[in-house]
Amino acid sequence: MILEMNNALNHKWVKALTGVVAMLAVSVALAATNPVHPLKAISPQEWNANKARHLLERAGFGASPQEVAQFARMTPQQAVQTLVRYQRIPDKFVPFEDSGSHDDGLEPFASSRPAATDLAKASGESLGVKVKPAGNRRVQQVADRYLYWLRASRLETHRLGYWWANRMLSTPRPLQEKLTLFWHGHFATSEEKVRDYRKLLIQNETMRLHANGKFRDLLIAVAKDPAMLAFLDAGVNVKGAPNENFAREIMELFTMGVGHYSETDIKEAARAFTGWNYDRLNFVVNPAQHDDSMKTVLGRTGRFDGEQVIDILLAQPATADFIAAKLYRYFVREDLSPELQKQLGQLMRDSRYDIAVFMETVFLSNDFYSQASIATRIKPPVELLISTYKKMELKAVPGIPDFNQQTEMLGQKLFYPPNVAGWAHGRSWITPGLLLARGNVIYDLVFPPIDFVAPDRTPNGLYQILSVADKLALGMDVTTATQPEGKTMGDMSMSMQADRDEDFNTRLASYHAWRKAIEKVKPIPRDTVQLNLSQLLRRADCKTTAQAVDHLLQRFVSVPVTDAVKQKLTTLISDDLGTTDLKAADSYMEDALRNLLHVILSLPAYQLG
Amino acid sequence: MNHHALSRRELLQALSAMSLSTALPLHALAKPADGNRILVVVELTGANDGFNTLVPYGDDNYYKLRPNLGIRANKLRKIDDMHGFNPGMAGFERLYKNGQMAVVHGCGYDNPSYSHFTSAAYWHTGAPNSGEPFGWLGRLADAIDPQLTPNFLINIDERQSLAVRAARHVPVVFDDPERFGRKGLYASRALLDLGTGDNADNSNSSQQFLEDVAQSARQASVQVRQAWNNYKTPIDYGILSMDLPKVAAMIHARLPGRIYHTAYRHNAFDTHVHQAELHQRLLTYVSDGIAGFMQDMKRIGRDKDVTLMVYSEFGRRPAENTSLGTDHGTANHVYVIGQPVKGGHYGQAPDFTRLNAEGNVTPTVDFRRVYATVAQQWMGADSAALLNGKFETLPVFA
Repeated sequence: MILEMNNALNHKWVKALTGVVAMLAVSVALAATNPVHPLKAISPQEWNANKARHLLERAGFGASPQEVAQFARMTPQQAVQTLVRYQRIPDKFVPFEDSGSHDDGLEPFASSRPAATDLAKASGESLGVKVKPAGNRRVQQVADRYLYWLRASRLETHRLGYWWANRMLSTPRPLQEKLTLFWHGHFATSEEKVRDYRKLLIQNETMRLHANGKFRDLLIAVAKDPAMLAFLDAGVNVKGAPNENFAREIMELFTMGVGHYSETDIKEAARAFTGWNYDRLNFVVNPAQHDDSMKTVLGRTGRFDGEQVIDILLAQPATADFIAAKLYRYFVREDLSPELQKQLGQLMRDSRYDIAVFMETVFLSNDFYSQASIATRIKPPVELLISTYKKMELKAVPGIPDFNQQTEMLGQKLFYPPNVAGWAHGRSWITPGLLLARGNVIYDLVFPPIDFVAPDRTPNGLYQILSVADKLALGMDVTTATQPEGKTMGDMSMSMQADRDEDFNTRLASYHAWRKAIEKVKPIPRDTVQLNLSQLLRRADCKTTAQAVDHLLQRFVSVPVTDAVKQKLTTLISDDLGTTDLKAADSYMEDALRNLLHVILSLPAYQLG
Repeated sequence: MNHHALSRRELLQALSAMSLSTALPLHALAKPADGNRILVVVELTGANDGFNTLVPYGDDNYYKLRPNLGIRANKLRKIDDMHGFNPGMAGFERLYKNGQMAVVHGCGYDNPSYSHFTSAAYWHTGAPNSGEPFGWLGRLADAIDPQLTPNFLINIDERQSLAVRAARHVPVVFDDPERFGRKGLYASRALLDLGTGDNADNSNSSQQFLEDVAQSARQASVQVRQAWNNYKTPIDYGILSMDLPKVAAMIHARLPGRIYHTAYRHNAFDTHVHQAELHQRLLTYVSDGIAGFMQDMKRIGRDKDVTLMVYSEFGRRPAENTSLGTDHGTANHVYVIGQPVKGGHYGQAPDFTRLNAEGNVTPTVDFRRVYATVAQQWMGADSAALLNGKFETLPVFA
């Protein structure tokens, strides 16, 4: 079988081969104990277009009918290898185009606005800005600059979101992006706290680099990743005053899961990580802050450092069980039996945490193609949008409406996971409100809004910024211009004196920060959707409205649809076109087709893949 | 809202209340349910620092444990010789002094978890250290509304909270009422609004779930949007109102909702580092929002019908940490607020001199006693059945 696979693929790569051997060893061992094992590979005879489609949904972001057909012509092994062993596919990597909004004067960045302005008042300078020697608002520019960087980093992170979404859409290695997205949720790190898009870009590239590699490499890289170190307060985890945040999360969320360690283990492990920090964008260990004394973690004692603790964690069976089950729940399905859970943990251990080996076995397995797995997964918002674009055969993520706003509204914004646990998946994606919103996102895609305002240029809905700018332009003094509108201030009622003396004004700073940030940060391109449904149907040789309905259902929807529903949809489009003959309607059918598509993609079942 | 619609809804409410009382004799322990009574539950996510919320300034140990973070007595909003609210909490001070706030001290549970998610799940389910799949508010809805009144259980948030997950009710969950509706052209309206859920033969359980939610969305969205659009208030809820104006709009419109859950979102209260200024600001928002909501209830004449409860997944450690913040703790206050509430202190403040190995206080009140109190005394449920065990109620409702 090894020979056959290598012949078929006409390829030799040592790493993959080791993987295949390990995988075969696992399946042989499993087959010996249980002949109808759920993780046993399906036979080539069972392979068909529906299974290829399912594989592309799960190992990627869905696919056009042409891609499905292409994968259906392969053997299941070839199809899975093509997706999992993606390193052999050349990557048309377009690096992120940095706007250059950061400069060295911003380092080290203050922990808070008061910290920035207090430092300025105490030392005469902060964030590379000197305090004005005399006059009103002497540290205004410091406050401006503090808020400038928060704003610039945020806007740049939105560009980063677009960059990544475009990568998901057009990459020839979809599983690499999908695994990177999985790890982003697993090692959840948010710009909200990190406040530095550069660190998030580095983290994203680290996760992409190790996405299908050894989990140990990834875990160590993430533990030393500046964004993660910032996110989990590494800077304050020092000898004599350990901060437990990172130690707790690495056990609870990154490796073993709740219930497999004690509070003492956390305290002890926290000491092993003391002194781990970052300097600008680099990982550093500060020996003076590292606690080199004895620690006892999970029954083992020594002068452990962070890496040694990570190895102790990886040696725990609970870790393999936890990571295996989490991958399975994400890529296959939510409910798994205790037996299957055990087998998956064993598979992870046998592969020595080799993610490619694990995924390969899973994507070939009987269970992956079973009725319980196919079309039962509720797509996370980012995947819902990217897969919709893919099936629309778009070449780029539309600039209108805004991708980040849309996914955020649906509960998932890239680089902004809701908390350290990442996104909760499955049914938690769906509420009555969110289900309607998912339909509305499709509406705005096929009929883009004509009153779109770019959120990376105009501070729409941002408290007070626009009105401050307007009032200053009308010659108002700063105190009056920045007074909150329409709110009674109650206990904090402000004095009514005009332009009072103060060190700085934060509302003024918000306005200045916005102005300076949009000067530096490049705009997001705002092309509307380049959708041509008429073209897709012509190419598919659809002649009647009924065929158009069939084609669109086939292309977009993963579950079967009843004839009654098809009939209703056909009536809708036929009435709209005034004919059932597509040829007759060829010159004017696009809008009607878009409306039909909106209805189809509003089926509750469209959420499934 | 026109009068016909209103009276029709009232009629339906009355009918469902009748069928409830005839079909299901209430448990002897439960007080007769009043069909107008509403419970609003507000979660402060991230574990609010209770000791800097209602400060035990009369206890010297507080200042010993918090030499830097401890709030000086002269800055506090004192409510008696022992306790004072954080300086940012004018609204809470007023509610307490008006006798409309019950402070339940030391709420927690045995074998505490210091994980946000785990402990939040324990509070959401009302079942610490167990695998209870449904939320306590979901179970409460199932128990007191067996006829499954649409829009009975309402959760305003980005995500459905585990607290409202129910075996039988489909909770109405939305965030922005303006967006809680379907876009769609006239010709396709019927198809969108009818849905296409006649697919029973092929449907898998995920699909069934989606069809159920779609149906709930259709029922709820029109009413919620109307309620929100018809609602105007002169009351100031402050800067971050925890979605309470939305709750007020639903109550004002007399939606059938009797159980609401909202949250101060995104783990905002997880104040490990440099917390003083940030924490006070968060508390100001909480206090202004809740005081505004209570004032609004009075304005629309529903203050007798509404009780609001505030909780957090755990408290924080009494001792400050070395980053001028606080780490994960155990017991915390629960606040029960409203005109029907008998204000004052309940339970016992935890003892700072008897800290556990982690430096945390020992809870003095099982938080399920508070749940039992509001579920039974206020909502008329059999609390022992609801909470899988008998928890002594507190005399919070006069």
